[in-house]
Amino acid sequence: MTDIPAHGTPTALKRPRDLSALVPYFFILPAVAIMLAGLVYPVIQAFYLSFYDWKIGTDFQDAPYVGLRHFTRMLTDENVWESIWVTLRFGFWTISIEMFLGVSLALLLEKPIRGASVFRTIFILPLMVSPVVVGLIWRYLFDARIGWINYYLGLIGIEPQVWLGDADLAFFAIVFTDIWQWTPFIFIIVIAGLQALPSEVLEASKIDGANWWQHILFVKLPMIRSILMIALLMRLIDVFRALEVMYILTGGGPGRSTELLSLHIYNRAFDTQQLGYASAISVLLIVIVTLLSLGILRMGNPMKDKSDI
Amino acid sequence: MTRNLLKGFAASAAAALLATTALANPYEKYDGTTIVVSWPSLAHFNAAETLVEEFTEETGIEVEIDALQYLKLRDRQILEMSKPEGDYDVVSWVVMWKGEYVSKGLLTPLSQFYTSGSLVDPLYDIDDIADAYLQNGGVVGGKKGYMPGASGALYGIPFGAETSILAYRKDVFEEQGIAVPETYDELTAAMTKLHEAGIPALTSRGKTGHQVTAAWLFHLAPMGGKIFDDEWNPVVNSPEAVKAAEFMRHVAKTGPVGIQTFGFGEASAAFLQGDAAMHLDTLKIAAMSRNPKLSKIDGNVGYALHPTDKRCGSETGGFALGIPDNAPNKEAAFLFIQYMTSKAGDQRMVELGGDPIRISTLKNNADQYPDYAVTAEQLPCADPDWRPLIPEWNEINIDVLGQALTQVITTDDPIQPIMDEANEKLRAIMEREGYYTWAEYRAQQ
Repeated sequence: MTDIPAHGTPTALKRPRDLSALVPYFFILPAVAIMLAGLVYPVIQAFYLSFYDWKIGTDFQDAPYVGLRHFTRMLTDENVWESIWVTLRFGFWTISIEMFLGVSLALLLEKPIRGASVFRTIFILPLMVSPVVVGLIWRYLFDARIGWINYYLGLIGIEPQVWLGDADLAFFAIVFTDIWQWTPFIFIIVIAGLQALPSEVLEASKIDGANWWQHILFVKLPMIRSILMIALLMRLIDVFRALEVMYILTGGGPGRSTELLSLHIYNRAFDTQQLGYASAISVLLIVIVTLLSLGILRMGNPMKDKSDI
Repeated sequence: MTRNLLKGFAASAAAALLATTALANPYEKYDGTTIVVSWPSLAHFNAAETLVEEFTEETGIEVEIDALQYLKLRDRQILEMSKPEGDYDVVSWVVMWKGEYVSKGLLTPLSQFYTSGSLVDPLYDIDDIADAYLQNGGVVGGKKGYMPGASGALYGIPFGAETSILAYRKDVFEEQGIAVPETYDELTAAMTKLHEAGIPALTSRGKTGHQVTAAWLFHLAPMGGKIFDDEWNPVVNSPEAVKAAEFMRHVAKTGPVGIQTFGFGEASAAFLQGDAAMHLDTLKIAAMSRNPKLSKIDGNVGYALHPTDKRCGSETGGFALGIPDNAPNKEAAFLFIQYMTSKAGDQRMVELGGDPIRISTLKNNADQYPDYAVTAEQLPCADPDWRPLIPEWNEINIDVLGQALTQVITTDDPIQPIMDEANEKLRAIMEREGYYTWAEYRAQQ
């Protein structure tokens, strides 16, 4: 005799509904598996490695366990703090200028003016160039002896500058190159956001008498706030990951004037073969990026309104 | 029956003859083998590719070349040589890496091949290879672990090895009435005079890290300085070391614009393109100046010995060829190295625009290439201890000296405190790596 519950539905008949509840998890399983294999596992490995003094070319099993020595060394290593300071300065200047220029250009080119599509295409070209090529292009442009920049400065009577051999000029050079490469990223995101704005709201603000500035400051920018936050967050993470362009352009020099934290980690790991120590600094990098990202998300989480979808 | 016997005898004789013929070719056993060679993408090695093709044609051994920018080689080679079985059969290292490679057990000692009669060409004559090159590029052990000595063992054969000589613009010197400098005082005076005449004087490497340190080391040896004393105490703040750093600052101020960013490529290009009157670095500049694709100054270049100060002393550097411990085709790899560095191979390298490693090749070609006579005269001064090839050298070279010397050439800060600070950092590294353990132990006795 079949045991029928009080509501009258046999237990066995509930199974299809239970399984269907698992379907979403089934679909996200590959993504989660890839995340675990490609992201979480290396991070755990880096953390693990930071407790050992291992040099490439030797057996890891022979690497001595050093406990927290790399972390204590890192906290008192002036070179680490100097590279963090360089990274923060670099991030401040590049992100501020890129956000300003990217948003401004998007506002100028969103209207259907003549040739706008040509301008848009030209503006996003730097984004399509590989970072290594960007580094090489600008390295030769900034070259003190054969670079075009010094050549044209010479035509107007300005002495040649050692762009990549002077601490301040080299820092300017990496900031300038980054702005050249990444402003189009802000531009393209913002213009996409602007073009998706509902025309009724924009028209209503015009009917209400808003001038051009008010239209931008109090209507358009607030409406694309979440997009701006995403752009800011992505650029912030990129600043801490930036490596290739600086590696080719200046190698972190002169001295350590352009040695971003990521480049410092690379140099420690591969130039001086201190993999354990480099891993410890990588852990610090993850902590810094996470804290800054959380700070930005607290300012305005673009996913907040969609969390209960 | 007699006929059958004769047939059998004839067949045996033919087989024996064939076998004898087969044994007479030392390469036959390796016919069809493919070896993989890791070496730098530099003029000497690019020129060697023709010789590699000739090697394949003669021996039947195929060669795949993996050429990389020379400062990128080390990471790649270490990764390959760390695997249970690597892809590389031959690796070419910058001499400063040999100590690290051997200390990590990554290389095969060549003695095991030199005891094989079927592999070693009796006409090879290893004694003809410039001793400074052989010791610096190939011998590990001996005094300090990288110097010549009774306990040294051979791990590599120099190929693309070098010492330093002075190259100068004959036309500019004549025009300005400057005599070829023989001492550092004369060199300094010539640099000042050229600068005052609006001519960039001496080109040099100056990029942060390895490059600026290498440039300083060129001057340190003749000025009588060293990195360490005999008990591994750092002495980079000695009067000689500070004088070499002061000279570097003078180089940066009187040389072509942008020295602070120059690696070897940029420094040599400045000379070859006519933007500097002198080049005091590797002898490779001579072959480059003869190459019309690289040089605008061919025919106007003179060569002289590396100027002296307290003593004569020039660099010993460049590359050597060796066999990884995990190489899949070690014997074929040995035959390749032997072929490339043989007397005939060395002479062929000269014809292809490379640099010789043998004394006989230098002498035989001195009439055609004036720099060869200078090199042969310079080699006895080549100092195998001009930089310490210890496993910690990369950290010292890039992280400490490479930073301090950048400060020297990019600022007007007093030099002595910069070098004092570098000295302290060096001591800390040596302390960390246990170099003073014995001294401390003896002090406790």
